[in-house]
Amino acid sequence: MRPLDWFVLVTSLVSIVAYGLYRSRGSNTVDRYLLAGRSMPWYAMALSIMATQASAITFISTTGQSYVDGMRFVQFYFGLPIAMVIICATAVPIFHRARVYTAYEYLEQRFDGKTRALASLIFLCQRGLSAGLTIYAPALVLSVILGWPEHLTTFLMGATVVTYTVLGGIKAVTWSDVQQMCIIFLGLAVSLVTVIVLLPKSVSFGDAVYLAGAAGRLNAVTTTFNWNDRFNIWSGLFGGTFLFLSYFGCDQSQVQRYLTGRSVTESRLGLLFNAMAKIPMQFFILFIGAMVFVFYLFVQPPLLFQRTELARIETGSEYHAVSETYLQAFEQRRQAALALVDAHHQRDSSAVERQIAGYHAAQRSLDQARVEAARLVERSGGEKGFSDTNYIFLSFVTRYLPAGIVGLVIAVIFAATMSASSGEINSLATVTIVDLYRRHIRRGRSDHHYLLASRWATLFWGVYAVLFAGWGKRLGPLIVAVNVIGSLFYGSLLGCFVLAFGFRRVKGTATFVGMLAGEAAIFWAFFFTGISWLWYNLLGCAVVVGMALAITYLAPAGGAPAAPATAGTPQPQ
Amino acid sequence: MPELPQGRPDGPPPFLGTWRRVYIAILIYLGLLIGAFYLFTRAYR
Repeated sequence: MRPLDWFVLVTSLVSIVAYGLYRSRGSNTVDRYLLAGRSMPWYAMALSIMATQASAITFISTTGQSYVDGMRFVQFYFGLPIAMVIICATAVPIFHRARVYTAYEYLEQRFDGKTRALASLIFLCQRGLSAGLTIYAPALVLSVILGWPEHLTTFLMGATVVTYTVLGGIKAVTWSDVQQMCIIFLGLAVSLVTVIVLLPKSVSFGDAVYLAGAAGRLNAVTTTFNWNDRFNIWSGLFGGTFLFLSYFGCDQSQVQRYLTGRSVTESRLGLLFNAMAKIPMQFFILFIGAMVFVFYLFVQPPLLFQRTELARIETGSEYHAVSETYLQAFEQRRQAALALVDAHHQRDSSAVERQIAGYHAAQRSLDQARVEAARLVERSGGEKGFSDTNYIFLSFVTRYLPAGIVGLVIAVIFAATMSASSGEINSLATVTIVDLYRRHIRRGRSDHHYLLASRWATLFWGVYAVLFAGWGKRLGPLIVAVNVIGSLFYGSLLGCFVLAFGFRRVKGTATFVGMLAGEAAIFWAFFFTGISWLWYNLLGCAVVVGMALAITYLAPAGGAPAAPATAGTPQPQ
Repeated sequence: MPELPQGRPDGPPPFLGTWRRVYIAILIYLGLLIGAFYLFTRAYR
């Protein structure tokens, strides 16, 4: 990083934190600290919801996914608008009328205390696990770029996030998110323009798109159905809908964003903005990855994008043979790409077919050389199942982008991490205090007592996230890892809320047993079947609902009546 | 810890008149987006 990059990075981060803290003045009651006194406008909620979901992982890993696997990951988001519409029509008005701090508080009003406690614990497990991953991503970035130790980076990131989240509460989180999203949009636009400008003079933008498509990198929609295929239109529309219903309807890190709204209308508008903006945004990010792929058709990419592992295998005796094969394959692919562009310009269909065959053959040789290199990493003591997908985009940024823009892209990564992490820590603290501490440990204390407890809980979860950040390196591509973890738990939560909103006869005990059965079914699918994780939410939800309905109608004694609401859990109006 | 105050009553959306129409518009938008992506995929494969 050059001085201008440092200036851009530091200025961006300081201004984000300072602005967030400035806007959070007056967060001196629990209501204001956890729900911003229900005063937030729709656009702030909209950007905060988007920022909480778009972590640094989104930018690091999604671009890499597109580079190696094409744009089909965008289909994962096809279910999001459907989920948003369902949530706006059902959950948003119910949560607002119930006057709750958390989604799980509502479950006690509807069912009983044990169902609320189980849902809260499932959330804490799931969100607690992914909180570490969220902070790990930028640690990965700086360890590659600057050579800093990962634990130092993790600590600095964590300390910054914890400071403004503890001091300012959800207002600081939300207003920081707004600014962070502005920096993210700017950084993405600049990245795309830069990568296109860096293409060889003889390759136009149209040629670049054509070459990306010919290499299978613009496969935004695949209609073939396969249970084991993670990303196709069917898994996106059906599995994705259930995943996003779970995420936006049952995950406190998102529910808390729209509970801060001034009214039901403001909350709905915030969610619907996401319904419209999220898919184009993901398409845009994936398209950047596809353009990076085209850039590397003409500029030789490293054999491995992970510098440390590359250095490890370079000293081995087998490296030179693999490297030589890689070099030849790259040159063949470059020649084939240029010849393909020529044939395309001349509209010579037989020449196009011939050149595409050569282009694909060279790509296969190149991929095979990279697979061999990954095997060398494993054989030389590196991590098992080595993958450098997460390093592709950042490697490109630091090698080829001009001064200032590198700093801006790194600021984007930091901003995304801070927004996602602060939202997670804030919601974990809220559930800990509202659903566990206030409900089961210290009841009937003063507002000041719970405000102080909320600050301590925020600090606790921040420290926890930092300590668990190191766990991330043991997982594959990060974007997938985060969603896999979520899918292990979301289905049961979703089933619980489906029962709460749609089946008035189902009571607490039936729901509680159904949730346990749902979790068992999901873990069975995870460990003993090859079913893609996108279907876990549908599976878990179906088992919870099916089991609870069976208990309710076949063994009515099991569906005990809901317990009366306790102090501090107001009845729905 | 005080009870939260009652939120403002549900109001109509600022455009299209009713929420039902807004939801339908969002779903039509999704259909158009998927259609555009499908054509994009077909055009460049």
